[in-house]
Amino acid sequence: MNRRLFTLAATALAALPVSTPSLAADELRVMVHSSFALPKPLLAQFEAQNNIKLAIIKGGDAGEMLNKLILTRAQPVADAVFGIDNTLVGKALAAGVLEPSLPQTASASEATLGPALAPVDYGFVTLNYDKASVATSGLALPKTLQELTLPAYKGWLVTPNPATSSTGYAFLLATISGLGEDNAFAWWAQMRANGLKVVKGWSEAYYTDFARNKGAYPLVVSYATSPAAEVFYSKEKITESPTASLNLHGGVFRQVEGVGLVKGGSQREAALKFVDFMRSEPVQQALQTEMWMYPARSGTARAEVMRHAAEPAAFEAPAAQVIASQGAAWVARWTKVVLK
Amino acid sequence: MTGSATRSVRRSDLHTNLWLALLPAAALLLLLIAPLARLALSGFTGEAGWPGAAPGTWSLWMPWQDDYLRWRVLWSLAQAGITCVLAFALGLPLAWVLARFEFAGRTLVLRLLMLPFVVPTLVAALGVLALWGPRGLLSGWLGINLQDTPWLLLYGNLFFNLCMVVRAGVDALGQVNAREVAAARSLGATPWRAFWRIEWPAIAPWLMSSLCLVFLYCFAGFGLALVLGGQRFATVEVEIYTLVAHELQIGQASVLALWMLGLTGSVALLYALLEKRLAAPSRVEPVLRRPPQGMAQWLALLAALGALFFICALPVLAIVWQAWLAGWATWVGVFDAEVRAALWNTLRFSAMALALATLLGVLHALAAQRSVFWRAAAFLPFVVSPVTVAFGLLLLYPGWTASLPLLLAAYAVLAYPFVAKSMAAGLDSLPAHLLQAARTLGASPQRTFWRVTLPLLRPALRRGMAFAAATALGEFAVTLFLSRPEWATLTTLIYRRLGHPGAASLDQAFVLASLLMLLALLAFLLIEWPVAERDVAGRPVERQLQTGDLRHA
Amino acid sequence: MLELRHISQNYGARALLQDIDLTVAAGEIVALLGPSGSGKSTLLAIVAGLQRPLSGSVWFDGQDITRLAPEQRRFALMFQDFALFPHLSVLDNVAFGLIEQKQGRSLARARSLDMLALFGLAGHARHKVWHLSGGEQQRVALARALITQPRALLLDEPFSALDADLRVSLRAEFKTRIQAAGMPTLLVTHDEQEARAMAARAVRLSAGCLEPLW
Repeated sequence: MNRRLFTLAATALAALPVSTPSLAADELRVMVHSSFALPKPLLAQFEAQNNIKLAIIKGGDAGEMLNKLILTRAQPVADAVFGIDNTLVGKALAAGVLEPSLPQTASASEATLGPALAPVDYGFVTLNYDKASVATSGLALPKTLQELTLPAYKGWLVTPNPATSSTGYAFLLATISGLGEDNAFAWWAQMRANGLKVVKGWSEAYYTDFARNKGAYPLVVSYATSPAAEVFYSKEKITESPTASLNLHGGVFRQVEGVGLVKGGSQREAALKFVDFMRSEPVQQALQTEMWMYPARSGTARAEVMRHAAEPAAFEAPAAQVIASQGAAWVARWTKVVLK
Repeated sequence: MTGSATRSVRRSDLHTNLWLALLPAAALLLLLIAPLARLALSGFTGEAGWPGAAPGTWSLWMPWQDDYLRWRVLWSLAQAGITCVLAFALGLPLAWVLARFEFAGRTLVLRLLMLPFVVPTLVAALGVLALWGPRGLLSGWLGINLQDTPWLLLYGNLFFNLCMVVRAGVDALGQVNAREVAAARSLGATPWRAFWRIEWPAIAPWLMSSLCLVFLYCFAGFGLALVLGGQRFATVEVEIYTLVAHELQIGQASVLALWMLGLTGSVALLYALLEKRLAAPSRVEPVLRRPPQGMAQWLALLAALGALFFICALPVLAIVWQAWLAGWATWVGVFDAEVRAALWNTLRFSAMALALATLLGVLHALAAQRSVFWRAAAFLPFVVSPVTVAFGLLLLYPGWTASLPLLLAAYAVLAYPFVAKSMAAGLDSLPAHLLQAARTLGASPQRTFWRVTLPLLRPALRRGMAFAAATALGEFAVTLFLSRPEWATLTTLIYRRLGHPGAASLDQAFVLASLLMLLALLAFLLIEWPVAERDVAGRPVERQLQTGDLRHA
Repeated sequence: MLELRHISQNYGARALLQDIDLTVAAGEIVALLGPSGSGKSTLLAIVAGLQRPLSGSVWFDGQDITRLAPEQRRFALMFQDFALFPHLSVLDNVAFGLIEQKQGRSLARARSLDMLALFGLAGHARHKVWHLSGGEQQRVALARALITQPRALLLDEPFSALDADLRVSLRAEFKTRIQAAGMPTLLVTHDEQEARAMAARAVRLSAGCLEPLW
C-alpha cells in the first residue's frame, strides 16, 4: 500500500520536468483560426529557409482565438497571430495583445487594417443559395433583404450565431450598416418569425443545414468564394457551380484578414519573416484555393476557379472604431431579438 | 471504553491537527474561496476590470430582468427539476425490484450501477448522440430528429442520475425493518399499503437526499448541456462559458456565475441538512429477497432490467458500436500527432492530479476527524461548478492562466473531495479500540497510522482514488478555461472534433470517446479491483453507496 | 507498583471521577466494580494514557508518568471486543507489540509462534482473526498483550462478550497466566462473581468515588 502511494507520487514528480512546455529554442508559434490552411510544402519551405520550426496553433473561431490571446496576455501562447480581421482589430488593439506597429509593405490601393496588422487576404460574407432547391421551389430569388421576410420565403435562411461565429457577426454588421440599426433589428425580428434557423458556427450552417448538403435551408450565410469551392471540390468535373452568391443590399460584408505580432511573444525576427511570408507571391496564390479568400496583395493573379466567385460590387465596410465600440452591444441586442 | 477517540485530545494532537489541515486549507483558500470571492466582487460591481472586456456594467438583478437570461436560468432549473421527477418516477420502481427480488446476476447488476459514475460527461454526451443524434442509431431507425429539442439533454441527465437514485433506493430499502413489514401484513395491509405506510416513510429521506444531488448535478452540469443543449436548450453554465470564451463579457458572466453559486449553494445546504437527519445505517433485519414468483413479477423484473439497460448501458454501447462501425481506417488514421499529444496530456495530467488529490484528501480526512467545520469544508468543491471555479481562477490569477501548476492544482482541488469523503467515512467506521490497542502496544500515533489505520482504510482510499481518477480523466470545463492550446486533452479534443461537421469528424469523435471510456474504466478497475470486501470485524459486506459517492458534472 | 493519586475527571459539565486514589501492587489483581456509566472505562483510559485527567497524577514505581504517551508507558490494555487487527494474521497480531519494540520481524514472529503454542493456538497462526471464536480471539489478545512484557495490565470487561460457560473457563486460565507474569493488574468488570474468582481485592466506583469492597 505504501509502496503504491510512493510510486504514484514518484511518477507524478518524474512527469513534472517532462511537462514544462519545452519550447525548442527555435520554434515560432503562430496562432490561427480554424479555417487556416496552407499547403504543407510552402510551410516546410518557410521552415527550411529561416531555419525555424513552425508551430501552428489552432484557436477555434476568430473571435474565440482573439479572446484566448486576451485571456492569456500575461503569458502569451503565441508569437504571431493570423486571422484577426477588421471586425476584431479594434478589440485586439484595446486589449493590447498586438505589437502596435509593423513595417508596412501594403500599397495604397489595398485595404488596410491599421498599423498593427499586415493585410493578407480579404473576402465577402454574403448569402449563398442552392440553385437546385431554388429551382424546385419555383420562386424567384428575393431582390432585397426585406423580401426575404415574406411568407413565401419562410424557413429559407440559416445563419450562424454572431456571438460564436465571426461569419455570423460579419453578416449582422452588414445588416446594421446597410439598413440602419433599428431597421436591421426589425428585420431580424421578422426573420425570426419567418423561420430563421440559428446554429453555432459556419460549418454547421453550411455542411449540415444548407440544402446543397442535404439540409433543409436553401439560403445560407456564407462567403462569396464558396461557390468556387463547390466547383473545386466536386467529384465530377463541372463547369457551373451548384450554388451562387446572392448579394443583397445590406447583406454583403467585406472582411479583411491580417497577420500581426503578439505583444510579449518571442522570436521577433522569425515572426517578422512570417509576416513577409504571408504576403509573398506563392502564399497569396495558394490561399485562394486553400482558404478561399481573395489575396490582399495587389497584382496577384486570380486562380482559375475563382471565376465562379465574382467579387460583389457593393459591400458594407463600417469603420473599425464603430465596430469596436458598439459590436458587443449589437450582439447582445441580436441575442435578445432572435434567440430569446 | 466507549466512544470514539475524540475525547482523548492532548495538546500534541491539536498541533498535529493544525499541521494536517494546513495543506488542504491552503488549497481550498487559494484555489476555491479566493477565486469565488473575486468572482463575487466582479458580479456585485458588474465590472470586470479587465482590459479588452466588453464595456458596460451589469446590475446584479440582470439575470431576472433580461428576458434571454431569465429564460436560460428558468430552463436550467426546469431541466434539473424534470430530471428529478423522471429519475424518481423510474428509479423507485427499479430500486424496489432490485431490492426485493433475488435473481442470478443481481450482484453484478448492482456493481454495474456504479459505472455511470466513471463515465466522463463528454463521453456520455457522445453516447446520447450516438443513439439519438443526427446520425444516431435509434433516431435513424425510428426516423425522428431530436436535434434542437430538450430530449437529448434530459436523456443525458437521466443516464447519469438514474443509477444514483436506484442505488440510493436499493440501499434505503435494505434499511427497512422486515419485522415491521411483517407486522403490517399480518394486520391486514396489502403489499401496496404496506409499502406506502411502512416502507415509504423509511426510505423517503434517503430518496429526497439523492434527488437533491440529482438536482445539483443537472443544474450545475456543463459538459452535457454544452454538447446536447443546442442553441435553445443550453444551461446557464454553458452561457457563462460562451460569454467568457466567445464574447469576453466578463461582467455579465460574473453576475450569472454569482447567481449560480447562490442557487447551487442553497441546494447543497438543503442536501447537507437532509444528510444530517439520516441515521447511520443500523443493522436491522432487512426484508428477505425472494425470487420472482408468477408471470407478473418476472415481467416486472425483466422490464426493470430492460429499462436500466436502455437508459444506462445503451449509450455507452452505442459509442463502442459506432466506433466499431467507423472502420479500421478511421482507427488507424485517428492516431495522429495531435491525438497522441492529447492522450499523453490526459494521462500525465490525471496522474499528477491524482497524486496531489490523494495527498490532500488523506490530510483533509485526518484533520476532519475532530472538527465538524472541516467536514463541511470538504463539501465546498462540490457546491461550485467547475465552470465557476475555472472562471474564478481566471479572474484572480490572470498571470497564471495557461500555466501548468494552476491547471493541475485546479484538477486536484476538484478531485480531492472524493478521497477526503471516502477516507472520512472510513475513519468514522474504524473502531476506536483498534487504535487504542495499537497505542498501548507501543505504537506512536504516526506508527499507528501507518501500521493500523492506513491498511484498514485501504478499500476506502482506493475507492476515493478511483472516483478522483475518473474525475481527472473526464475533466473538461477547467481545461477549456485554463489550458493552453498545446495542452489539449482527450476531452477537449473530442469537443473540437464535435465542432467540425461531417461524418469523418464524428467517427473520429466516437473512436476517441471509446478510448477515453476505456481509460476511465481501466483507472477504475486498477484502483478499485472488485474484491469481496470485509468490514473491520471481518464480516463480508455488501458495499453500500455512501454519502461520499459524489461526482462532478 | 501502580498508583493513582487524586484523579479527577469530568464528563461534559458533570463530575465523573472525584479525587480517586488507588494503589495496585506488583502481582496483584484488583477488580474495579461499578454500574455502567460510572466511569470505570474512563479511569482505565487515564491509566493507559489515552486520556488526560482534569487533575491528579499517575505514578508507577515511584515515577510520575502522567505526562507519558501511551506507547511509552508499556501498559497493555484489553477490550471487550478483543480489538484484534483484522488486516493481520493471528501471528502478526501477536507480534505487533514486539515489532514496536524494534525486534526484527522474523524474530518477533518466531517468539509469537512460541507464545501461541503456549496458549494452544499455534494451529491458527496463519489464520485471519475472524476465523476464530470469541474465546479464542480474547486469548490471542491476551497473548498479544503478555508477549510485550507490559509493566501493568488493564482489562476492560474482557469477558462480557462471551458465553457464560466460556467466561468461567477463561477466568481461570487468565488468572493463572496473569499471576505467572506478575505485573499489577486492574480488572474492570460489572460481574461480582468474576471479580471474586479472579481478583485479590475489589473496589467499587460509584458517584465518582472509590470505595473498597473486599
